[in-house]
Amino acid sequence: METLKLNSKKNTRTIEEINAKIKTGDAQVLTAEEMKKLVESSGVEVAFKEVDVVTTGTFGAMCSSGAIVNLGHSDPPIKIERAWINDVEACHPGAAVDLYIGATAMSETQPFEYGGGHVIEDLVRGKEVELRATSYGTDCYPRTQITTSLTKDDLNQFYLLNFRNCYQRYACAVNSRDETIYTYMGKLLPQLRNATFSGAGELNPLMNDPDYETIGIGTRIFLGGAQGYIIGEGTQHDPKNLNGTLMVRGNCKNMSPDFLQGATFAHYGTTLYIGLGIPIPILNEGLAKKTAIRDEEIFTHVVDYGVPRRDKPKLKKVSYKELKSGAITLDAKKVRVSSLSSLKMAKEIAETLKSWIASGSFYLTAPVERLPIDSVFKPMRQTEGTPFVASVMQTAITCKENEAIRDIAARIVTKSVNHIVVVDDGNRLGGIVTSWDITRAMAEGKTALTDIMTRRVVTAKSDEPLETASRRMAQHNISALPVIDAERKVLGIVTAEDVSKFLGR
Amino acid sequence: MAKPTTAEIILEHKVPINIITAHVDSKGGDYLVDISDEALETVVKAFRQRGATVTLPKLIEVDKEKCFDCGACVSLCPVEAITVAEDCSVNFDKEKCVGSTCSACVEACPAGAIKSVKQNNAELANNTR
Repeated sequence: METLKLNSKKNTRTIEEINAKIKTGDAQVLTAEEMKKLVESSGVEVAFKEVDVVTTGTFGAMCSSGAIVNLGHSDPPIKIERAWINDVEACHPGAAVDLYIGATAMSETQPFEYGGGHVIEDLVRGKEVELRATSYGTDCYPRTQITTSLTKDDLNQFYLLNFRNCYQRYACAVNSRDETIYTYMGKLLPQLRNATFSGAGELNPLMNDPDYETIGIGTRIFLGGAQGYIIGEGTQHDPKNLNGTLMVRGNCKNMSPDFLQGATFAHYGTTLYIGLGIPIPILNEGLAKKTAIRDEEIFTHVVDYGVPRRDKPKLKKVSYKELKSGAITLDAKKVRVSSLSSLKMAKEIAETLKSWIASGSFYLTAPVERLPIDSVFKPMRQTEGTPFVASVMQTAITCKENEAIRDIAARIVTKSVNHIVVVDDGNRLGGIVTSWDITRAMAEGKTALTDIMTRRVVTAKSDEPLETASRRMAQHNISALPVIDAERKVLGIVTAEDVSKFLGR
Repeated sequence: MAKPTTAEIILEHKVPINIITAHVDSKGGDYLVDISDEALETVVKAFRQRGATVTLPKLIEVDKEKCFDCGACVSLCPVEAITVAEDCSVNFDKEKCVGSTCSACVEACPAGAIKSVKQNNAELANNTR
């Protein structure tokens, strides 16, 4: 009786059963979007009965990607020591003629415009690229340099080998600073004037199988427009915090430039946009329920990228539904949001994968090994302390706006400084005046401080890393930054001279 | 320009010239004007004949082949000329776009699909001084 009951109301299905249905063209495949609608309208039980596979997709900047290529041997042969393709330096992890083209490596002649991601795209497009390589020469590999042109057809192997793809979700980035910043989360306007986010939310493969029931080593996937495989968990895989990642491999020779594109984040660097999709076999009702996850159930934090630290301030929790709406609310103000990954492409990937399965050209695989579900992402062990502005900052020599230039000049001499910070009665920053400003005032016969002081002052915070402060000085071509607190009260000053002394200890 | 150049041109050629901004002092002035496409050639020539320097603003052009509809540009547009449609495609409203004087979206495009381009009247644009 018990067996009969189970047979009449089967509550699981296997990958073999699904593949058999794919073969006969009977498999029921829905995209993640369609599945969510079905569960909403008909419930989990019906969805489980009716649906065999749910297809997911994501298309975003995946910096930890690259391609391994084997060039074959030249005659006489060369043991490559350093190599460049279209002026982008490649790594040489192997014996002689294997190269790894990292997506973020930048062209030496066109940095920030062309990089490893573009090289991979150009090769996938069938374009010819220029290889330059050098070596020290050995008895068996006598050649010391070579230059040649190549296309993908000339390569023995050309595989995408990505060590971290498909981030389950990502932070939403804003910038609290007074200046625009350029980050891997794109261009962030000052004072929280815009926000950016990444990730496909409810369409993301890992969000649809968060317990890694079906996604594992050996899972066949959509990668760059071809069939690829998951080869393990990605680096920084952090599944407990819903920050899972994947390591994947796929044959670039079969890929399409529609789903793999070199890209540039202005003033940050180059990368590779990749399309990745995973079929989720609906083996049980639990998976039917999991694949019904909606954007309003997926949360992330609005993070202040204006603070260039490992642990950045989290300003707010937001859902992917809010992010995809185009605007979020911060401090009661509407802030417009940009998506960095393409949701349109994510949908297209889920659709393409669905059509592959429906037409019998893509079969599912059971993982040969599960991915870790409890690994954590540890910070770097640092044996040397990082210097902060506070460790170098000096007491600022100040003056008031109504003081005579002559008195300020005298102060520059007696205190032997080059910068005098102009403050109001509450010690709040009003401006800055340098010894050069004073010299020029003398030459031009000016007597009022208000005519020569700089009012738009570039400043530093005491708890920011010294490197950021010195970078700001270099960017603005200035030699000191007043250090202020949140109320713009002057706490001190950090000068280029102090920075070099500190670093030169 | 001591002479009422703009007024003269309007009267002589009977064309409407929409003055958007004007900065004039004793040494001369700068005008930003809007002219219809049909009148463009005549008006530019007339201004140049009277010794004025004419520059044509550039427009924003999107290469839809390169664009993969991410939307990185959307939140940077000060006039909300870039929007995301229902199907998640990213659309540019050329009427709203203020052109190359802004260009906020150009460098934000990861695909390098947005460019400042000269106005389509190539001959006039080439004469730009």
